[in-house]
Amino acid sequence: MNDGDVSKQIQQMIRFIRQEAEEKANEISISAEEEFNIEKMQLVEAEKKKLRQEYERKAKQVDVKKKIEYSTQLNASRIKFLQAQDDVVNSMKESASKELLRVSSNNKAYKKLLKDLIIQCLLRLQEPAVLLRCRAVDQKLVQSVLDEAKRAYAEKAGVTPPAITLDNREFLPPPPKGADSHELSCSGGVVAASQDGKIVFENTLDARLDVIFRQKLPEIRKRLLRNMQT
Amino acid sequence: MEANRGQPNGIQLLLAAEQEAQRIVNAAREGNVAWLRQAKEKAEKEIVAFCVQMDAEFQRKVAESSGDSGANVKRLEHETETKIAHLKTEATRISQDVVQMLLKHVTTVKD
Repeated sequence: MNDGDVSKQIQQMIRFIRQEAEEKANEISISAEEEFNIEKMQLVEAEKKKLRQEYERKAKQVDVKKKIEYSTQLNASRIKFLQAQDDVVNSMKESASKELLRVSSNNKAYKKLLKDLIIQCLLRLQEPAVLLRCRAVDQKLVQSVLDEAKRAYAEKAGVTPPAITLDNREFLPPPPKGADSHELSCSGGVVAASQDGKIVFENTLDARLDVIFRQKLPEIRKRLLRNMQT
Repeated sequence: MEANRGQPNGIQLLLAAEQEAQRIVNAAREGNVAWLRQAKEKAEKEIVAFCVQMDAEFQRKVAESSGDSGANVKRLEHETETKIAHLKTEATRISQDVVQMLLKHVTTVKD
């Protein structure tokens, strides 16, 4: 071989070495790039997913909180309305209570009422001996209808007329004085008890109002709400 | 000899070529390291940007929803006030009737 040929061969070899190196370098770069890209994407996606879940959770919390707040407010509103209903209905009872006073002012009607109330007491108690108590102001009136009541009851129940003892020492409270007087008062009527005092029947106008009011409450509420929309 | 005179040069050239080759490959490897670092930085930036976006979205939602509940509360309050006002009107309307009804039952003795 001459120098020229050797030189040529060497140059070829050098080119070959260089080529190989460049190819290898390329391969290293490309495959690494691919690998890193995939890895990077996976990491980023994983992080994003985590973040998304985190924010979803937070958003749900906000939602729940909002629902609870609304529900609480709704309850408060309902209670407020129910309270208003209660107030309104009770004030009707108050009005009725005040009107009770007028009942005892009509002597004729009140006298008849007392008699009927006494008869009712006797029918309920079904006792041969009965204690009766009334207001001090009603004493005369009650006395005047006692006999009639005894006889009416005896006839109705088919028994001998009972012995009625009208308490003339202790009386029911007097009629109320002021509009908002807090003292015990009674608007009329009687209280009866069995001789041993164990069975008591309150037939005062006030007690009757209480009972009627409780009985009629559903009807009153219905009337009240009848014309309310929704 | 003539051939011998070319060879030491040749070998040196080849060695040099080998070294060059090694350098090229190493450079590729280093390039990878740099690239990896860059990629990490890019990834972090992307994640941070995403986080900021999510947060902004969330804050917007929170503001919107609290605005909503404020409105709801007002609406409920208003509705309740209206209902109560109606109630009171009705009560006034039927009050006398109810009172008379109660009185009638109190003063009528049925058996």
